[in-house]
Amino acid sequence: MTFESAVFYFFSAILLGSAAMVVTIRNSVKSALFLVLAFVSAACLWMLLRAEFLAIVLVLVYVGAVMVLFLFVVMMIDVNMAVLRQGFGEYLPIGGLVAVLMVVEIALAVSPRQLGPTRIAASLVHAPPLHMSNTRALGVLLYTTYVYPFEIAAVILLVAIIAAIALTMRRRPDTKYQDPARQVEVRARDRVRLVKMPTEPKA
Amino acid sequence: MTSALALYTAIPLVCLAGSLIAGFFGRILGTVWTHRIVILGIAIAFALSAVYALPRTMAGHDLDATVYLWGRAGGLPLTVGFLIDPLTALMMVVVTFVSLMVHIYTIGYMRGDPGYQRFFSYIALFTFAMLMLVMANNFLQLFFGWEGVGLVSYLLIGFWYTRESAIFASLKAFLVNRLGDFGFILGIAAIYTVFHSLDYATVFAHVDAARHARLAIIGGTSWHMLTVICILLFIGAMGKSAQMPLHVWLPDSMEGPTPISALIHAATMVTAGIFMVARMSPLFEQSPVARSVVLVVGASTAFFMALLGMVQTDIKRVIAYSTLSQLGYMTVALGASAYAAAIFHLVTHAFFKALLFLAAGSVIIALHHEQDLRKMGGLRRYMPITFAATWVGSLALAGIPPFAGFFSKDAIIDAVSYSTLPGAEYAFAAVLAGVFVTAFYTFRMLFLAFYGEPRMDAHTRHNLHESPWVVTLPLVLLAIPSVLAGMVLIRPLLFGHFFRGALYVRAADNPLTRMASHYHGVLAFIGTAFVSAPLYLALAGIATAWYLYIYRPELPARITHHLHGFYTVLRAGYGFDAVYLDGIAASARAAGRFLWRVGDVQLIDGAIVNGTARLVGRIAAWGRRLQSGYIYHYAFAIILGLFVLMTFFLHRG
Amino acid sequence: MLHIRPVVPEIIVFAMACVILLADLFWKRRFKGLMYGLTQATLIAASVTAYGLRDPRARVVLHGMVVQDRLSTILQIAIFALTAIVLAYSRTYIVERGVFRSEFFVLALTGVVGMCVMVSAAHFLSLYLGLELLSLSLYALIALQRDSIPATEAAMKYFVLGALSSGLLLYGLSMLYGATGSLEITRVATALAALPRHDLVATLGLVFVLSGLAFKLGVVPFHMWVPDVYEGAPTAVTLYVGAAPKIAAFALFLRLLVEGLHGLSGAWQEMLVLLAFLSMAVGNIVAIAQTNLKRMLAYSAIAHMGFVLLGLLSARVSGYADALFYALVYAFMTLGAFGIIILLSRKGFEAERLEDLRGLYQRSPWYAWMMLLFMFSMAGVPPTIGFYAKFAVIEAAVSAGFYGLAVAAVLFSVIGAFYYLRIVKLMFFDAPVDAGPLRQGRDLRWLLSLNGIAMLLTTPWAGTLIAICRSAVRGLP
Repeated sequence: MTFESAVFYFFSAILLGSAAMVVTIRNSVKSALFLVLAFVSAACLWMLLRAEFLAIVLVLVYVGAVMVLFLFVVMMIDVNMAVLRQGFGEYLPIGGLVAVLMVVEIALAVSPRQLGPTRIAASLVHAPPLHMSNTRALGVLLYTTYVYPFEIAAVILLVAIIAAIALTMRRRPDTKYQDPARQVEVRARDRVRLVKMPTEPKA
Repeated sequence: MTSALALYTAIPLVCLAGSLIAGFFGRILGTVWTHRIVILGIAIAFALSAVYALPRTMAGHDLDATVYLWGRAGGLPLTVGFLIDPLTALMMVVVTFVSLMVHIYTIGYMRGDPGYQRFFSYIALFTFAMLMLVMANNFLQLFFGWEGVGLVSYLLIGFWYTRESAIFASLKAFLVNRLGDFGFILGIAAIYTVFHSLDYATVFAHVDAARHARLAIIGGTSWHMLTVICILLFIGAMGKSAQMPLHVWLPDSMEGPTPISALIHAATMVTAGIFMVARMSPLFEQSPVARSVVLVVGASTAFFMALLGMVQTDIKRVIAYSTLSQLGYMTVALGASAYAAAIFHLVTHAFFKALLFLAAGSVIIALHHEQDLRKMGGLRRYMPITFAATWVGSLALAGIPPFAGFFSKDAIIDAVSYSTLPGAEYAFAAVLAGVFVTAFYTFRMLFLAFYGEPRMDAHTRHNLHESPWVVTLPLVLLAIPSVLAGMVLIRPLLFGHFFRGALYVRAADNPLTRMASHYHGVLAFIGTAFVSAPLYLALAGIATAWYLYIYRPELPARITHHLHGFYTVLRAGYGFDAVYLDGIAASARAAGRFLWRVGDVQLIDGAIVNGTARLVGRIAAWGRRLQSGYIYHYAFAIILGLFVLMTFFLHRG
Repeated sequence: MLHIRPVVPEIIVFAMACVILLADLFWKRRFKGLMYGLTQATLIAASVTAYGLRDPRARVVLHGMVVQDRLSTILQIAIFALTAIVLAYSRTYIVERGVFRSEFFVLALTGVVGMCVMVSAAHFLSLYLGLELLSLSLYALIALQRDSIPATEAAMKYFVLGALSSGLLLYGLSMLYGATGSLEITRVATALAALPRHDLVATLGLVFVLSGLAFKLGVVPFHMWVPDVYEGAPTAVTLYVGAAPKIAAFALFLRLLVEGLHGLSGAWQEMLVLLAFLSMAVGNIVAIAQTNLKRMLAYSAIAHMGFVLLGLLSARVSGYADALFYALVYAFMTLGAFGIIILLSRKGFEAERLEDLRGLYQRSPWYAWMMLLFMFSMAGVPPTIGFYAKFAVIEAAVSAGFYGLAVAAVLFSVIGAFYYLRIVKLMFFDAPVDAGPLRQGRDLRWLLSLNGIAMLLTTPWAGTLIAICRSAVRGLP
């Protein structure tokens, strides 16, 4: 066993273990933290494959942004996991059985005999060795060959933003808010009314 | 699409358009605009047929083209296409001309009827279907038109749907026709099995190759395939053209309005069978057996139906039986390979029979829908135009020169005498005897209706007058070809090259070429009639009628009394109706009732239908419960589906 | 130089979606129907453009991401047309329910972009992204009526299950990548041809891909979301979900299974036999037990998708044409049926129960006849176009030798006829319960009538329509 494979098995074990913990543990905050651990291990695996840009992005985006946000939400809304887990034991035997069988079947299909390194090597087009950094290569590909999917991904993000706003933002009639535009546009005569009154007759 | 094809396509379509407009918007348009629009459509169709289609084909420009591919069933393309050759063009002219006359006549005949627009819609639809039938270039479209005219005929016989007898008659016509259609579609199916195509051109081109094809029957025997096909097709023709024993619907169809009797049940639809057999002449020429069957059936119809005409008292029924008999003549001609003579007779018959029917209709209107000959008489003083028209029609029907019927009927009799098929002698005797009977019943009708003392009630007699011009105009227009058509058409149709390749006759069998060697012009043809039997038989028939109904009007009653048994048989129409209704239909109904009580109510309804419904309902309720509404159930279903697919297809070698 | 001509319709639609979003900001109060008008104009412009850019030869552009062929052109135009009709049907409905906002139109348009990307995808990546774009728009559209609990629930279910199915699809695609070394559909096809027939990796990928696709089409056993979403969503959105996306999902089958995985056709044929049978069975049988009209139509959709698969699983070009024809005919039938529900509904009343159709004939004979035409067409009663479509796909199954399945299809369509005819019975022979007025709105009424008459009057031209479908799939293997 080379050093590389030792590292690979180490992080894979952590990845699988923490992923299992994410779905089984009772405390939702801990569950989220295990997810963080899973992401980090996955990032390490990618590092091993020399995909350093992806590894860093995974840590930055998912661990740094998404999971933090997620933790905030979990803490704010106080999900009662006990209710969610009702019937877990009831469904466990059949669910577990199907899961195990599926894992076995998939494992048989993608066993090294079927999808070993030799086959991958044979089927993949050999890329010439890169003379640039991983990040730069990704960038070049993204803006040339993959520009169309890249643009669609951008559209998807925009739709997600629109959807999120449309579904959550509501203007309640009783909310009070300030409108800076109207504040700026205000004029004196709108606010102060000069009233001419007859002077009081002398007593 | 070429301009020719476009124009041909327009011919049936204007009729269809007229029908649809009358049917859907008739109530909005009112009666006058409805008939104007429909008649305009038919007039266009007639004009195009007469001044475009006919001259074009006569100049040798035939057309066989597909207009539209509707779909495919297996390897079979379902197409709409037209084959326009002289035979088709001639039929188109006849159909549209008679149809136009009937349309005009209808304005007078149907005036004030609540179903006025509906009636126009139907007859225009009929014209459309008939045109599709004659213009078809494939069997499927032929069948479409065939069923189309059958349907419209059903609708029109039962036009006055509140009358019990009309409903009965329409049902009868439909059922009997179905019987024929069954044979017909089996024939078409057989053609498809042999030729793998339903296009006329393809089928006819491969007839020679299929000459020895045989159809295996259980037990090692086999039949000549083309004979089977021809007989099946002819069964279809027997239904539509009312040949014995499938003739029973035609007399009853007189329940429909008279214009319909003229158009459908005399001039056009009933000739569809004749047309079809003529169109299929390349097939029939390959099968002497089938032609022999055609000959015998036609001859029997020609003679025995004519006999029935002698004892009818309803004026329309007399003409109906005469139609049956004349159709028999045409069929005989087909059997004798004289296809051109059959078509010739078809054409002349269309004119003079439509004329006779419309004249009868004119009488019926004048008498306020009285059709009984015993309550007529002496009408010649009141209705001179109708009277003259009936004379012309009767002379043509009886076959007196130089009227149209004489030429075509004589040609048929002549042609039969040359036939050597089994049954030809019988056929010759039958058609010869038929001439006498025909002349007799025709003039019996004429004398009873127009001569003698008026026998209607006083009130009706005071109001008797000639019909309006919309009625008499078609009479006059139809009378002209009834006189002239024979003289003008005999040369091109029979002995000329009008049909060219449209009708196929094996050279050795062709009776017309043999007749042509004796033909020396119209006058000579008339001249030879004076030295041959048919003319004298016809004159004898007329004389007998005159003797019995004008000179000695008390005699018929006595004869009837003496020949009571014979008379009863004739009045009962040889008992066909009795056998069909009380025998076949009654036992079928009994069997049906038994199957209904036991099979339907108990087995099918009880066990199968309700049982199945209950079972399905139970499964449905169970399936509904599976739809619990919980996401994880749904997700599990997805995973399970995936699992099953994986297990089934992944690891099985 | 990038060849962007083939994607100009998509660009137009998306650009206009952005314009509408901005226009909403500035002119919302001034012009009431502006968003609606702009959306319809966009769809018309896009279909005209798509037609103008048509090219009989297939062209793969944008580095193998997009293919432009007759199939993509025809399907794009169909998607534009269907969406335009959907919007016309739902205009007054969404006004009443307070959803007449720019977001509705923007999401509808982005969904259209997603569908266009799907039908013209030549690469797994663009195919998947198009699918996600569509799905995201659908989730949001369903949930748009925020105060409606059923709608929110439906959106949630659809979202979760949709994510699951996307996962399956992606997993399958990655397996195929592993087996063939490419994501480009044509290259995958060539690479597959070189593999042994029962390659485990490729088959595993196929199973997962098929499961993901079957979910999008709503085929048993991946159908459970369909009834809940159809029922829960506002009828206008149900209309949207039920029409064009089915066409797009069907296109995925053609692009992925037929173009890409033709080498595995033996395997997917048998899988589709199973799915088609189950769909026709479950759809037709369970529909009988429904009392909610929208739910019933959902089950009918499941059954109809089974019939679509019937044409597909013949694995012949003529069968694909029949299936395509069926899918298109179905889309228009379902538009009509839901259109009638919209016609009968009004503010505060959804007209979604079967009882609400009672006695429609006495309230409005014309629309009762229209509904009768839709029901007859769905049931496959002869003079309607639905009969021809059903006939075509069953014939395709027979000609491919699946006799048992064809017999089953006929039996299930007989069972299906029951619940369609029950509606006819309710409309014509029962006394009305609801006596409210029918919805006004000239665009709805005219289009609906046209839609209904088309069920009958297109039959004589069925041959021509099938020929168009045939020309669309001519390039497929």
